[in-house]
Amino acid sequence: MSRYRKIFNPVFTAFLLLVSLSFYQKSYAADGEALFKANCANCHKPDKDYTGPALQGWKGREPSADWIYKWIANPPALIASDPYAKAMFDKYKIQMTPFPQLKKEEIDAIMKYVDDYKPPVAPTSPSGQPGGATDNTLIFGILTMVLALIAFVLLQVNTNLRKLSDEKEGVLRPEPVPFYKNKTYIMAAILVLFSVGGYFTMEGAIGMGRQQNYQPVQPIFYSHKVHAGTNQISCLYCHGGAQDSKQASIPSVNVCMNCHKAISKYEGPDVLEREDGTAVNGTAEIEKLYAYAGWNSTTKAYNPDTNGDGIPDGASPIQWVKVHNLPDHVYFNHSQHIKVGKQQCQTCHGNIQEMPEVYQFTELSMGWCINCHRDTKVDFYNKKDSTGNKFYSIYEKFHNDIKKGKMDSVTVENIGGTECQKCHF
Amino acid sequence: MKRITLFTAILVTMIMVTISSCGSKRNPGRIYMPDMAYSRAYETYALRDSNIFTSDPADLGHKIFYNNQPVNGTIQRGELFPYTLPNDSIGYKMSAQVLNPLGPWTKADSLEAGRLYNINCAICHGATGVANGPLSAKIGAIANLTLPLYVSMADGTMFHSITYGKNNMGSYASQLDRKQRWMVIKYIRSLQPKAGAATTAASATAVTDSAAAKKTK
Repeated sequence: MSRYRKIFNPVFTAFLLLVSLSFYQKSYAADGEALFKANCANCHKPDKDYTGPALQGWKGREPSADWIYKWIANPPALIASDPYAKAMFDKYKIQMTPFPQLKKEEIDAIMKYVDDYKPPVAPTSPSGQPGGATDNTLIFGILTMVLALIAFVLLQVNTNLRKLSDEKEGVLRPEPVPFYKNKTYIMAAILVLFSVGGYFTMEGAIGMGRQQNYQPVQPIFYSHKVHAGTNQISCLYCHGGAQDSKQASIPSVNVCMNCHKAISKYEGPDVLEREDGTAVNGTAEIEKLYAYAGWNSTTKAYNPDTNGDGIPDGASPIQWVKVHNLPDHVYFNHSQHIKVGKQQCQTCHGNIQEMPEVYQFTELSMGWCINCHRDTKVDFYNKKDSTGNKFYSIYEKFHNDIKKGKMDSVTVENIGGTECQKCHF
Repeated sequence: MKRITLFTAILVTMIMVTISSCGSKRNPGRIYMPDMAYSRAYETYALRDSNIFTSDPADLGHKIFYNNQPVNGTIQRGELFPYTLPNDSIGYKMSAQVLNPLGPWTKADSLEAGRLYNINCAICHGATGVANGPLSAKIGAIANLTLPLYVSMADGTMFHSITYGKNNMGSYASQLDRKQRWMVIKYIRSLQPKAGAATTAASATAVTDSAAAKKTK
């Protein structure tokens, strides 16, 4: 036994190490993905030329090792001085926006994501391998059932055989109890029923009040995929409140009309479909918007305001259905997360730019909030080179601890982000 | 007998909870305490009880008047004074005399102005102001801000156009406050070619672009 233990310990440690390493790699890659989508995806694709060049294979192309950092920080300067940059500018005819705010390690993360990127493989046939995980569970479930059945049959056979042999030898035994009256079987059945039922009961009880995947039908089929994905409109163009206030703010109709005064027909390229697969007529949806705005699409003018209420006749606000609802006893502030915490919208709302109809991506439960507050590092003020959020210059103890090497970064939890009254007051 | 009742009660609860938890994703599902989940106080965007509240001045006597608007003439603390020129041809002409009230600015200010420009303007006018934003082809007739017409346009006139909208462009007064509009204008100035000096690559393209535009005219 002790020999096994000797082998087991190092093997187990190695396994743990591997698991944690794989998680570390994963989070690193995910970070690069978020940064890429937030900063680069407007003009670059990892594997295809777009507004700018395809980024994969950058290592072989760039003239020197730190060229990429210089380029991202200040493209105009490089175009003026560096022949390679000049050639690229001549080829794509557009100058890249400078990103001086990207740190070296952030650029590394982005480039690592780009190198590791593989285009999503579309399933070739409906009988392919999509949903392999669920298939496996089903197989395991069936296997367990079959094994249980075999065990049951074998037990019955065993009883019968013993009965036969007893009769042969002339041993008198009481008649065996039928299995539905056998207390062991009944007990086992009850245990199974309670654990399975208990599991679903717990799941249901915890899930009550949470709205993950909630995807209401909206008054207008507004596709975030078309607007934020294909047409690359910034989230903050419409939801500007997210950087200044508690509410992310739903855009008023005039914001829609900024573009839709000119765009009155939907011309693709995305195919508009509801979740159940029914087709949507994009132009008809834009007509719905015109009705709300009081805009006459034939005369290209707002309806006159005859009743003097300050809005065109027939105009009314659009009553969008709220998707994300936090309970009234929780305080949540968008600007605190977007402006101060510099979080991406996608962290909590998922890949909105790929959703035809918006659904709630995360569970928005307290455990989910707390986990993120535990893991997320704040932009702690660095006294040496005075970078980071200056507000944190007052945290004397953490500054001392960092100096002594007791801690290397400060999480939201460290600065009180998991205190009850931070969100419940 | 008692045991059976207890057993049935537990079973029924289990089934009810399970059923109530697996609704379709089109409905928000059930919650334990609706009065704790949904605010009793009137929150942003919440529908108000039309028996108590009104936004119609005619109902003033017997209902509470509330129309979400600040009182006329309200100025937020630290905000710039309102822009008073009217949205007509006279106002447009007079706007050329309005000066940009912003003083010299820091690097952080210009970064912030660039961020605002990239969010609100670059979608049509393009990150470099040459009218090549992702939506420019769909909307059409987008101003190339590096053309001499816009280089020589007064700050005040730009402010007037951003505030009230011009041609295909809508009013941005609801998306950018007055200070932000002036900041964006200052940022646009930094995208435009300086008169006479075409040293950087950015202004070089702008000049070729405007030359090409002149030819087509």
